[in-house]
Amino acid sequence: MVVLAALSASGRKAWQNARSLAGVFVLLLLCGCASLGPQTATLRETLPSALRERVELTEVPFFPQSEYQCGPAALATALASSGVKVTPEELVPEVYLPERKGSLQIEMLAAARRHGMVSYQLAPRFDDLLREIAAGNPVIVLQNLGFRDGWHYAVAVGYDYDWGKLYLRSGESKRQVMPFLIHEFVWMRSGYWAMVALPPDRIPATADESRWLSAVAALERAGGPRAARTAYQTFLKRWPANVNAAVGLANTHHALGELKEAESVLRHAARENPESVIVLNNLAQTLSDQGRDAEALPVIERAAALGGPFSAAVEDTKRSIQKKLKR
Amino acid sequence: MNVWAKTICRLLIALMVWMPYQIATAGMIGTDQVVTSSPQVDRTTVLNFLNRSDVAGQLQTLGIDPSTAKDRVAAMSDQEVQSLAGQISAMPAGGISSGAAVLLIVLIAAAVWWFWQR
Repeated sequence: MVVLAALSASGRKAWQNARSLAGVFVLLLLCGCASLGPQTATLRETLPSALRERVELTEVPFFPQSEYQCGPAALATALASSGVKVTPEELVPEVYLPERKGSLQIEMLAAARRHGMVSYQLAPRFDDLLREIAAGNPVIVLQNLGFRDGWHYAVAVGYDYDWGKLYLRSGESKRQVMPFLIHEFVWMRSGYWAMVALPPDRIPATADESRWLSAVAALERAGGPRAARTAYQTFLKRWPANVNAAVGLANTHHALGELKEAESVLRHAARENPESVIVLNNLAQTLSDQGRDAEALPVIERAAALGGPFSAAVEDTKRSIQKKLKR
Repeated sequence: MNVWAKTICRLLIALMVWMPYQIATAGMIGTDQVVTSSPQVDRTTVLNFLNRSDVAGQLQTLGIDPSTAKDRVAAMSDQEVQSLAGQISAMPAGGISSGAAVLLIVLIAAAVWWFWQR
């Protein structure tokens, strides 16, 4: 009673807060691993197949962060390890938001493209994180280290499965050692957000076909056709049947003025996918651009006959070919 | 009057942001459209156009100058722009130094290290 009376209203509130916080903490401890870190609990049971027990990418460079700027520092770390010559200071105008005192996830992905890299957001799985590290790819992760708004980017560069330890380049520490469980606890709060930024001639170990294609298409838009061309070629070596990647490759050839190459890619794609309106339209356009409108006309007519969501674009192409033929 | 001025401003920003992508080769169907495979091409084009100007505008209010904001939006995919439009203030912005959170880490570390070791 005496203690309670001594507490002012605000003091009481603070006390209640502290008590509920302590309660939550104890509860978490009681529930143990399973609820604190569900993926760590699964990981503990078995090492994901074909993974080494211990990996550390010691050659990944380290850029200690200046205040609030873990975004540029983490991105510079990932880019520099892919061979891009860049410093965190140069990345500040590309990712940092002064009024938010931080960097957005999407801008981290976008900025990597400006340096000719393909950026890829990993699936929210702990073993994917380990797989990428084992494949030699440092992984940028978003953690929440505060009680509410302590968002922080770090770069995972190694792990030791037996000890359950993750090694990170983080803030001012070059080699932060974090138990899997702690990492999961702070990482889980960002929805297990993680990304890699790889040169266009590589594919992440955990890449999903369609999501990787979107990542390459995003590079095509932002990083220019040259890097994207390489990325599409690499993609098609792994997934040769993907018609959308063939369209992308042809588009980059076309943008670079390599019309013959674009034509041959599209002809091959048209043989494999005779019903693809997009392939036919782009093939007709490529032929027309080479002054071969008579050849282009039957192709575009076949595309027009198939209809579909791109019929407006097809009609445009057809009209322009017919116009050129009349001249 | 004010509303009109605003609309025109938005449109101009949108045009400024949008322009570079329209230079893309005429007649070819772009990979972006193929990959997102959105059937309503015209509608999504208009939406993207507005979203891009919206996001560029938001970046400006958060302390980025107009031309830098434009370059930053240009590096985003349509999907990314769409998820950012109108949402920037609600999204996490990674920025704190890990030093600031050492206490939390140490506390939890001490408690759960034990679980892993067991």
